[in-house]
Amino acid sequence: MKKAYVYSCLVLLLGAWGMFSSCNHDTDEDGPSLVDRFGPFRLEDSLSVSAPTVDFANGETVFFTAAFNKNVNWTVTITGQESGSVKEITGFSRELNPETATWDGTTTELPLFRAEPCTAVLTVEGEDSLQLTTQLEVLSGRVYEGSLITDFEAAGPNIVQRNFEFEFTARVGVTQEIPAGSGESCLLLEGTDREDGGATDNFFVGLFEILAPVTGEQFIPVPSTVPEDVVFNCFIYGNGDPATIAIVDFYADGNGNGTYEEGPDTQFTTGNINVTWTGWQLFSITMSDLGITEQQLQELVGMRLVLISDNNNQTMPRGKVSYGVDFMIFTQNQPLMP
Amino acid sequence: MTSFTFKTTLFCGLLLLGVAELFAQETQKLRFNGLGRTTLNNTQYGGDLQDSDTTNAARINDGEFLLDLGINATPNEKNEIQSILRLRNEFGGFFGAGFTVEVRELWGKGVIANKIRYRAGDMDISQTPFTLYLADEEGMVNEPTIFQPQKEIIEYENFFTDDNTRRMQGLKLDFALEVSQVIDEIEFEGYITRVRGTDFVSVANRFVGGGTVAFKDRKYGRIGLNYVHTFDDLSVGQVPNGIQNPVYTADWDLHLWENDNLGLHFKGEAGFSSVQLEEDSVIVFEADDNFAEGMVGFDVKQANVKVDLGFRNVGPDFITVAAQSKRVDFTRQQRYFNRIGNERFLRAPTLFDLGRDFQLYTSQISEQLMAYDLRLSNAMPYGRATPNRRGFIANIQYADSAQAVNLNVEAAILSEIAGQGTEELKDFTLIRVASDLNIHKLIDWEKDLVFTLGLQVEQTSRDGVEVEQVDLSSNLIEAGLEVELFDNFDLLLGTKILNSEGSDYVPVYDNFNTVIDFPGRTVVDDTELLTAGGFKYRFKEGIYLTAQYQTFDFSRATTPENDYALSQFFILYTMNF
Repeated sequence: MKKAYVYSCLVLLLGAWGMFSSCNHDTDEDGPSLVDRFGPFRLEDSLSVSAPTVDFANGETVFFTAAFNKNVNWTVTITGQESGSVKEITGFSRELNPETATWDGTTTELPLFRAEPCTAVLTVEGEDSLQLTTQLEVLSGRVYEGSLITDFEAAGPNIVQRNFEFEFTARVGVTQEIPAGSGESCLLLEGTDREDGGATDNFFVGLFEILAPVTGEQFIPVPSTVPEDVVFNCFIYGNGDPATIAIVDFYADGNGNGTYEEGPDTQFTTGNINVTWTGWQLFSITMSDLGITEQQLQELVGMRLVLISDNNNQTMPRGKVSYGVDFMIFTQNQPLMP
Repeated sequence: MTSFTFKTTLFCGLLLLGVAELFAQETQKLRFNGLGRTTLNNTQYGGDLQDSDTTNAARINDGEFLLDLGINATPNEKNEIQSILRLRNEFGGFFGAGFTVEVRELWGKGVIANKIRYRAGDMDISQTPFTLYLADEEGMVNEPTIFQPQKEIIEYENFFTDDNTRRMQGLKLDFALEVSQVIDEIEFEGYITRVRGTDFVSVANRFVGGGTVAFKDRKYGRIGLNYVHTFDDLSVGQVPNGIQNPVYTADWDLHLWENDNLGLHFKGEAGFSSVQLEEDSVIVFEADDNFAEGMVGFDVKQANVKVDLGFRNVGPDFITVAAQSKRVDFTRQQRYFNRIGNERFLRAPTLFDLGRDFQLYTSQISEQLMAYDLRLSNAMPYGRATPNRRGFIANIQYADSAQAVNLNVEAAILSEIAGQGTEELKDFTLIRVASDLNIHKLIDWEKDLVFTLGLQVEQTSRDGVEVEQVDLSSNLIEAGLEVELFDNFDLLLGTKILNSEGSDYVPVYDNFNTVIDFPGRTVVDDTELLTAGGFKYRFKEGIYLTAQYQTFDFSRATTPENDYALSQFFILYTMNF
């Protein structure tokens, strides 16, 4: 009895041991590849672009190709030769191909690409001496989803300057004097707040009114009626001075006459935007954050762009403050992805 | 040694002897036991590096006077409690400065209804090498006697035992049933312990629970079913992260056949584990795997030789944190000369440090594979439960009938199961030889004359393209001589030599055993030489006084400008009572 029991156990154990021994373990390579981490780098196929020209407005894309002997951190930097726009595509792989290195016209550093020749440069982390270049031409810039208010490509009666205190410079308005955020031109607000201590010593420099008809409609079109789903976006250009404040106001039709009237219409404001940076940056805000209702969102009759001199940060005598605005657009559910 | 130091040592020794005598006056219900220890240590730093080092003192003097007073009470014949109070004063403490009192140990045990034994409080627990176990440290095969006094301090301070137990706090129950119709008895043992407390914010209570059911028969052997579960309790506080690591195994030692000349055994262990890491109620990592180890053992009785031959297969994702957590924590700061040189480079633990610095050791459970020194152990840095190993193992034991010669040889030819950073697999060869030669028995001398030898040869290799290739060889040699010059007065000599040459990649782990990076190829061409000489006087079993001088040289051929030397002279008095 005992012997039978023990030998039965033995057989069971042998069987169990054999089962475990023969079990397949996970034999996938563990950890980063040593060849990738420490192996010598070798370029196996140089940089090239899939097409010499690309028409982003028509939905075209281009991709880059190159090949290495191991996985590397690589970067393709595309620079617009006229706009100065920069797009960076990065990856960790052995090759650049349609899956890893396709460009759809988006940008990493504003401004947006326009129709212009571009230069693409491939660099590899840790291989400082390697720099491969290729050329391509953008026939048209990318079209972004959303409701465009204006991209300030032309001045007109619906872009109204209000220089109440005569503090604007002569350069203000739709201009090409600074590089545009999109296209050829943008709106510039520039001036110096007076410091005579009189009634106009009040931080305010000047403003522009953007009336709804600039869009070709009575009310500014929005992609959704739900304020939580509607995001206002614009590009703001800064000079790096610490005293520039921008304010964006929206006006909903308060008296039902369908036109902008500052007094009766209802104002919604972004509050102070401290424009302390240099160059173009995207500013985005969800309309519900302004406290606007669904009805009011559908009856936007105008906007105001205000230039304020932050005199708390001003030197004496007060310096010039300025900012540029371009590509004002409403998007749905998420900020603009330039 | 200065006269002051000598007098201090003598005074403390006599004081401890007096205390022991006092405590030896046992009563029926209250007894005293414990340990007294006095150490005085002078450590010197030298070598080429020290000559230009303006940041370190060349000499450190330290020591301590320590009394662990155990108070053992047996209120009745079925219950027993004990606490150990520690009184400690650092060398140089002035009128109580540096003096500390703490509770070192507290436990109670007894028998419930004459059937079930219990123990609550501090306890030392071990199950099997793949469940709950504290594998031996590296840098040691058959340590010469001269190095053992300081190693005893390390073991005592960290609660290490010869049974590879872990010190834990909790409750343990065990009982046995006789079922003589089938086998002799079935033993049951279960425990639940808390090994880490919570801070209610980021660190969870960690528990280890488990048990064993063992079927035992004197004639046919033993079969055990084992379970251990290491887990974090996230129900207390707001701790978001915790682990779960259950392990199930069966171990056995079956007597297949036995007569007066030969015994044949089949022994081994097999099982599986799973792990989970939870963060904010989401399981962010999980893995499971299995292992098996089987050995056929031959007991050639007339030749006094035992031979075990077998095969081991431990999966890459077999995780058993209660058995894989190491004794040596190579990331810890060293007590002596942690940074040296004007550039303040971090000195890696050496044979010298592993032999004397108890702060490098731990019995804590780590949820991810701990750092290791590839020079000391590359084939099995986590003991037998080292994951990602498969291959043949062998063990040969010989002891002559007069116990004049003892020889133990272990060998393993292993390889990885999954490559690290490559599909190529590393191959490991490990040979360990330990031998005691009791010369006094061979020459029939009445006093002790013992020569000990330890040898570890380890080879690691991997093929592949150049950047994947690995070739590392390490040799550790230990030799010791113990001569009893007069009654109980021993001359002790010993040396340890480590040679390591080649290179390998040491992975950095995350989430149990996930390799997140290889910081770079570790290139070594190292020689460590530790030599020691001294005397030891044994007052009686467990009570001795020893004085030793040790020198240590570290050289690395790749950076000879950083070679250095250390030495120490110490006096140690230990009294177990």
